[in-house]
Amino acid sequence: MQKTPKDTKPKLSRREFLGTGAAAGAASLLPAGQVSSAAESTAAERPVLAAPSAAQMARETGAARPPAKIDRIVHKPVSDLMVQVLRDLQIEFVASNPGSSFEGLQESIINYGETPNVMPEFISALHEESAVDMAHGYARCEGKPICALIQGTIGLQHAAMAIYQAFCGQAPVIILVGRDDKHFLQAHTADDVAAIVRPYTKWDAHPKTPAETLSAIQEAYRQSVTPPCGPVVVVLDSEIQKEDAGTLAVPEFVPPAIAGISQRQAESIAASLLKARNPRLHVGRLRTPEGIKLAVRLAEEVGASVDTRATSGPMSFPQRHPLAGPGDNDDYDFELGLERPATHVSIVGPGLRTLDDRDITGVNLGVVRTPRTAQHKPAGQNDIVADAEASLSLLIDAVHRQRTASNAQVVRSRTQRYANANHEARVALVEEAVEAARAGWEASPISLARIYAELWPLIRELDWCLASPSIFSGRHHVNLWNHDKPYSYLGSHPASALGYGLGASAGAALAARDRNRIVLNIQGDGDFNYTPGAMWTAAHHKLPMLTIMHNNRAWHMELMYLQYTAGVRGRGTDRAHIGTTFRDPYIDYAKLAAGYGVQGEGPISDPELLGPALARGVAAVQNGEPYLIDVLTQPR
Amino acid sequence: MNSRKIHALVTLALGMATIMPGNAQVQFGPITGDAENGKKLYYEQGCYGCHGYQGIGRKNLANDVSGIMFSEEVFLIYLRARADLNPMLPSQDMPHYPESSLSDEQAKDIYAYIRTFKDTPPPVDEIPSLQTILDDVANEKGEGSK
Ligand SMILES: Cc1ncc(C[n+]2csc(CCOP(=O)(O)OP(=O)(O)O)c2C)c(N)n1
Repeated sequence: MQKTPKDTKPKLSRREFLGTGAAAGAASLLPAGQVSSAAESTAAERPVLAAPSAAQMARETGAARPPAKIDRIVHKPVSDLMVQVLRDLQIEFVASNPGSSFEGLQESIINYGETPNVMPEFISALHEESAVDMAHGYARCEGKPICALIQGTIGLQHAAMAIYQAFCGQAPVIILVGRDDKHFLQAHTADDVAAIVRPYTKWDAHPKTPAETLSAIQEAYRQSVTPPCGPVVVVLDSEIQKEDAGTLAVPEFVPPAIAGISQRQAESIAASLLKARNPRLHVGRLRTPEGIKLAVRLAEEVGASVDTRATSGPMSFPQRHPLAGPGDNDDYDFELGLERPATHVSIVGPGLRTLDDRDITGVNLGVVRTPRTAQHKPAGQNDIVADAEASLSLLIDAVHRQRTASNAQVVRSRTQRYANANHEARVALVEEAVEAARAGWEASPISLARIYAELWPLIRELDWCLASPSIFSGRHHVNLWNHDKPYSYLGSHPASALGYGLGASAGAALAARDRNRIVLNIQGDGDFNYTPGAMWTAAHHKLPMLTIMHNNRAWHMELMYLQYTAGVRGRGTDRAHIGTTFRDPYIDYAKLAAGYGVQGEGPISDPELLGPALARGVAAVQNGEPYLIDVLTQPR
Repeated sequence: MNSRKIHALVTLALGMATIMPGNAQVQFGPITGDAENGKKLYYEQGCYGCHGYQGIGRKNLANDVSGIMFSEEVFLIYLRARADLNPMLPSQDMPHYPESSLSDEQAKDIYAYIRTFKDTPPPVDEIPSLQTILDDVANEKGEGSK
């Protein structure tokens, strides 16, 4: 193997290197921005990065001093205007892990304006992945974005998986990335910083002037909330953040125009709904809480039974609305899908697609290449590619126009019939779920159904949000709880990628904090341990997040997979715990919580102690304090 | 025994599961294994992963509800029946247990331990949270969305 010149030098740690004269010599040999000639001459080898300049070294070692003569005072940095743009867009939070490539913007967030650090408020994240997960969780609750503010190449790589997850979930998230190309470490910058996440972002921009920067942030907002919604990136050069804005003003924001169905289509669908003997709506995930209100109105105006996704994810039809349920018979003669496939007509917004033209909407992903927003491929003849939420007012208006005394009477009578039938169907489902939850009620470790069941009396009168995916903890909320809010349940990790629950719950708790809402996070132990630092964010920002550990002391799903494989190979399952369990030592989550400044208790394995612990937890979060209860559970 | 025959037997055994629960007529086979040793093996082999620490989990075994527990013979056939199911996709199905990985004796010990599982939860009206859940849905009529 050929050696680079570096290999022949005595080994020094980076700090030592910076602290010695060796650096000065190296710096003069390798001016910033240039690749070493040795690297050029041995093309097969990795390029050697330029050594830091003397100024960079000084800064890195804390020896930097302000210039003796101040020849340029910035009265109105462009970053103030950036904050003003965010404020005008009602961006509530910027979740961030600090980095010098955006210190200009950070300083403006915390100091600019009459009420600094409000709209947006700077939220401290301990990991960039958490910052993006927070923005993702918030978006799922509110149907609108907040920002994650990320340090150049390195922070963005930490953030990457969470961005991918938000992309798969079509969540509106704005990622602002600092870039310092001129003054700092070469390893922290790149010509095209956004390239490393471009395959799974909807849109990105790298504006080159202050004016372009302000417009780019506004466009990022529009792009993120326009279907297909998704994460977007704006790269912010540090020089632009620090420049004087002079006479530059914040441009007027033009909200996005989101297209619904045509007038003609609205009239025709309304006619079908009113004419139908037994109409049915299938309501999937709409964009915003406003969309749900409209969907409820449409159902009520036409007297349709409704199939809802409220127990699978956010922004769907209230689960126990009288019209939600199968209706009084399943011989539906007109079925309309709103962001859902349906037999007769479905209105489904465009999906995000990959470069090789695969639709990633709610499907299992293979390898994702560069995505682009592209046409949704209609599944049936009568499928309309249009945003369902933007179509609802048109539909309701058309129904009003076609309203007659006789069809109004039909609507009233079937509404009553459906309500009765739906009620009966629901009681049957709940009775079945209660019976299932009763099994293993007194078991120790504690049954997962019991956790969900015991929570219900404590939260039923409160405004709550279940932010954590429930797929591993049995989905017992589905029939034991009533999902009547846009954010009752935020759904699964869209890319099945772990390390999401805690950050997303913290983001949901950001949305909840000033809205008198609490967040429930039934938290897998495997998922917790990727980015536990979000606990500190919850403590620091006083987030109403109740974390209940689903502590089965394992990456349990993987344990089951490994058991199966070992079994099929005939080698026994007695060693399948290797690499799939948290044993020797067990992890103490209450202590971890305490270390992060979060009140906690446990581990609890006696089911009798669960109820009182949950009551303490709910009381704490109602009081604006996060709380953690470590519950030793049955595996599934 | 070829795998077809095994599958036929297992299907038969599983079919019994559907008629057995709550059917007092069905007589379970005798227990010859050592439940104490079975307890150890149940944990070591990770049976709790799907069946819970006391037989309530993804697949319940307590209270003699499972057809595979009909007799030691059926249990053994079931354990030994799955070798040809080589998964390309990850699976959370019941693993295969040839004799080389779990002897007949060990399997019978596990069988004996599982047969000790009795789940006797209180009735719903003695569990306030479950009763509240039932009351809430019963009382919702006509309320509509909140
Ligand atoms: C980022 C990431 N790494 C690894 C996996 C593979 N994986 C799927 S489930 C799982 C274990 C989950 O553990 P936990 O959250 O404790 O839930 P449990 O299965 O124990 O209920 C892992 C590691 C993944 N999905 N995502």
